[in-house]
Amino acid sequence: MSKRQLAMVMDLNKCIGCQTCTVACKTQWTNRNGREYMYWNNVETYPGTGYPKNWMELGGGFDAAGDLQAGVVPNIEADYGVPWDYNHDELQFGAELKPNVEPTWGPNWDEDEGAGNFPSDNYFFYIPRICNHCSNPGCLSACPRDAIFKREQDGVVLVDLDRCQGYRYCIAGCPYKKIYFNPKISKSEKCILCFPRVEKGLPPACAQQCVGRIRFVGFLDDKEGQVYKLVHQYKVALPLRSDYGTQPNVYYVPPTEAPPKFDAEGRVIEGSNRVPIEELEKLFGKEVHQAMKTLREEKEKRRKTGESELMDILIAYKHEDMFRLDQNYYQSIAKKQGISLAPVDHRYMAGKNTENKYQFKVVEYD
Amino acid sequence: MTKLKTALLASTLIASSAMASNAILAQKTNKDVTKLTPTSKAWSYAKATTIHLYPQTTITFNDKKALEANANNHAKEARVKAIYNGKNVAFLLEWPDGTKSVQKGYRSDVYGDGFAVQLPVNYKDPSKLPYIGMGSDGRPVVIHLQKAVQPIYEPNGKGNVGMQQNILSKNKFGKDIKAYNKEVAKLAVTDYQRSFVSEGFRSMTEIKDGSEKFSADMAYGNHAWKGEVVRPLKDSYLKLQGGFPVAFATWDGARMQRDGLKYLSGWVPVKLVGQRGGDKLVESLTAPVKGDVENGKNLVQQNGCTGCHYIPGLSQPSTMAPGLANIGGYATAAYLRESIVDPSAVVVPGYNRNQHPNTPWYNVVDGKRVSAMPPYPLDDKSLDDMVAYLKTLKAEVK
Repeated sequence: MSKRQLAMVMDLNKCIGCQTCTVACKTQWTNRNGREYMYWNNVETYPGTGYPKNWMELGGGFDAAGDLQAGVVPNIEADYGVPWDYNHDELQFGAELKPNVEPTWGPNWDEDEGAGNFPSDNYFFYIPRICNHCSNPGCLSACPRDAIFKREQDGVVLVDLDRCQGYRYCIAGCPYKKIYFNPKISKSEKCILCFPRVEKGLPPACAQQCVGRIRFVGFLDDKEGQVYKLVHQYKVALPLRSDYGTQPNVYYVPPTEAPPKFDAEGRVIEGSNRVPIEELEKLFGKEVHQAMKTLREEKEKRRKTGESELMDILIAYKHEDMFRLDQNYYQSIAKKQGISLAPVDHRYMAGKNTENKYQFKVVEYD
Repeated sequence: MTKLKTALLASTLIASSAMASNAILAQKTNKDVTKLTPTSKAWSYAKATTIHLYPQTTITFNDKKALEANANNHAKEARVKAIYNGKNVAFLLEWPDGTKSVQKGYRSDVYGDGFAVQLPVNYKDPSKLPYIGMGSDGRPVVIHLQKAVQPIYEPNGKGNVGMQQNILSKNKFGKDIKAYNKEVAKLAVTDYQRSFVSEGFRSMTEIKDGSEKFSADMAYGNHAWKGEVVRPLKDSYLKLQGGFPVAFATWDGARMQRDGLKYLSGWVPVKLVGQRGGDKLVESLTAPVKGDVENGKNLVQQNGCTGCHYIPGLSQPSTMAPGLANIGGYATAAYLRESIVDPSAVVVPGYNRNQHPNTPWYNVVDGKRVSAMPPYPLDDKSLDDMVAYLKTLKAEVK
């Protein structure tokens, strides 16, 4: 547990799967230097295989007793997908368009497939996923090198690349498979919640660029913040697969409004919902019932009275309300550390490696 | 891997005198040992010592496939040679490995073979050597590691941010692209060759300030690796003279081995032939263990050791305490004795206690690790017998 915790809320009712967040993240962080195959942010179709393939079946996380579970390190070709490119440059000389790698698998290979029978009851929705910056990270617990740390000031989970030796137990330990192996540097890398942006008062790139304005970012203890209100006050934002026991800090407003099913004659079945509640329970736990009830009630209230704070929040009028990052907070930390510029995480940049011989001590994690 | 020209050292080797069995005899030469390679002819003139490498089974790792691949590992027989001159000492480790594995390509789940040489900072008292698994609090070790890994890059591109951009955002075409890629390639560190200082695993820290100069190399042939490490006899970390202990570890990439999933020797004494001193250490590390093994086994059961520790045939693997399946292979008798009498003398950080919060094998009191195991102040005879039994706990050599 860190002193404070940054969190993100994503409203799945409004995600259109446009991948703008994915592209924002990729161009910012992962289009180079061995990270090409990584998607620190991805948007997957649910039900579907997800990214990496079948990540929910690859182990990691904790059991009910709190013991770390063994997991699997996915394979780039079979599970993540090798990034491929096309020979666009050669087309003007009459070449045939062809990929440089034979594509056999990739993220969103099964995009928009979903489940059910078209057109009577087929369904799917999108789940954008980043690192959950868990309060009890599986990756951190699995690391035998003490190379993963959780920042005290905001709970961002980072890899100390100086200490990382590329053992990859973290990948097996993360139930969300949101930490990746970089073969070029032989170390693990992951979403850094855009901490250099956050420290300057800007939201993570994925949240900033989201055209659906589905992402809220703020501190969980900031009672004026919309993140707090969605998670703790209205309790409509729920963690993904909290049964993995890592206490994730990305929360989702469950997809509440889905079209009704059709009967054999193509007529609407009144009161039906295409998304099976069991699926939502699997993802968000039993709490999903109450969350959906609250959402519907507030919607009704808004319709009748014209007023509902929750609906106003979810409409997402202003970025300045959606992102409450408290730049002064980071500036005050910088001041304490004697850094005059906007602070950048010292351990991430410099590593915990020391010039003095025996200075390094293992930090006990509680 | 530095490819150096071989210098013929053979003619200058001093004949070795008979020493206690199982000590590695480092032959003296007046030639430059830094010029040796794993396949240098000079090595054929040095006497080989046979050592055994046991699968390290102290803790259970959390990689499903790797656990399956290493479920029934046997011990390996390896050969060690050593040569020294006034400044440096060179070790050659030859170990069998049927599969040559190199970590290369754009892959997330391949692992390279490798080996490491471990040396204690302080070895004056043979009964208080550092814990074999990367040292322990107040008993640091220096480790030299060489892995069969493709040339790798520094994560920060040696600070050259301009060379870390994607080529697509560089607005370059044709020849310029090639030139850029060439510049980027220059940022590659050529070799996965590292030195560490460590006081127990998880505390292992790479020495990056250039204060530890060593070279290592690996060569594969005839279903075996030859690994060589050359390092100074004296530097700011170590002072090697007379006789000193050394330990070796190897990793089999085909079995997905990395980190603590490896083969490990016990502390093996090295005697610098022609130098005085170290006899006590050699004797202590090579003396046969005395004691009644059967009685020791009974005592281990009577004292409830198997309540927490895994001993094949007597208990089930658990997360409560270090596994003892191969402890006889890599732990010294002195360490075993110390751990029974004073379990908190050496408590390695182990894996993160958060992995198994309900079965912490130590607690932190006033910043010091205190073992969850109570001391067992038994009489000398009982201790001898228990140690003698524990020394028999090891995988078969194959």
